[in-house]
Amino acid sequence: MNTSTRVDLRIPCLPEFVAVARLTVAAIASRLDFPYDAVDDIKVAVGEACTNAIEHAVLESRPQEEIEICCYLEPEALVIEVKDRGRGFDPALQAEPDILSGGGLGLILIRALMDEVELTSLAGQGTQVRMVKRLRPVSLGQAR
Amino acid sequence: MNLRVKSRRLGEETGVVEIIGEVDVYSAPQAKKVMHELVDGGATHLLIDLRATDYLDSTAMGALVGVLRRTAERGGWVRLVGPGPRIRRLFEITRLDQILPIFETEEEALADLPGEGGVG
Repeated sequence: MNTSTRVDLRIPCLPEFVAVARLTVAAIASRLDFPYDAVDDIKVAVGEACTNAIEHAVLESRPQEEIEICCYLEPEALVIEVKDRGRGFDPALQAEPDILSGGGLGLILIRALMDEVELTSLAGQGTQVRMVKRLRPVSLGQAR
Repeated sequence: MNLRVKSRRLGEETGVVEIIGEVDVYSAPQAKKVMHELVDGGATHLLIDLRATDYLDSTAMGALVGVLRRTAERGGWVRLVGPGPRIRRLFEITRLDQILPIFETEEEALADLPGEGGVG
């Protein structure tokens, strides 16, 4: 696959559909010839991003919403955007992850498993998690 | 959702919860319920058997931390048994392996508990 291709998926903002999202994106990653471990990283990251969106929806009493998952299949990477239409929040005001309460674990996992992660949230406009997984890690020689 | 949760007792104070399949934001409440039922029934130590767990997310991790807090209040613990390398890595990334120790086998996890599970 040598050109950028886009695949969009919309799921109800409900827990029972998270598996649909993560398995679909994992199948897309497999098409790009990611190694098995990388496909698994992507699957976990997508699951966590959707779970975050659902938890916000539950807190905000709007389970009728949808989550939009956009996948951009690029020659050297898979770019995934997970968007919800919740109230949004100020990332700077987010509490530090606290493992003793089990809070913030999803974002820790996403950041550890993906090569790039960008969290954008605007009050009243929802939250977007943009994640990039590269097909081949940048070597030291390329980085210079 | 492909999840089965089995539980059993090993003596007075120890319970074992076997998580088979995938545990995520949808199915974690099922696993959480079984773990808390064991604690309600008097178990202060829990072994969580992850040998047949294919997928585990942060919601399940949060449920494990929640039940750990309950057992710790009673002087107990929660220990993990046999997660595959992918799931083990998630516990290492989040550093939860520091409060939820990981063992290869049930026998190793119970080695310091003479009399429990017939290993003493």
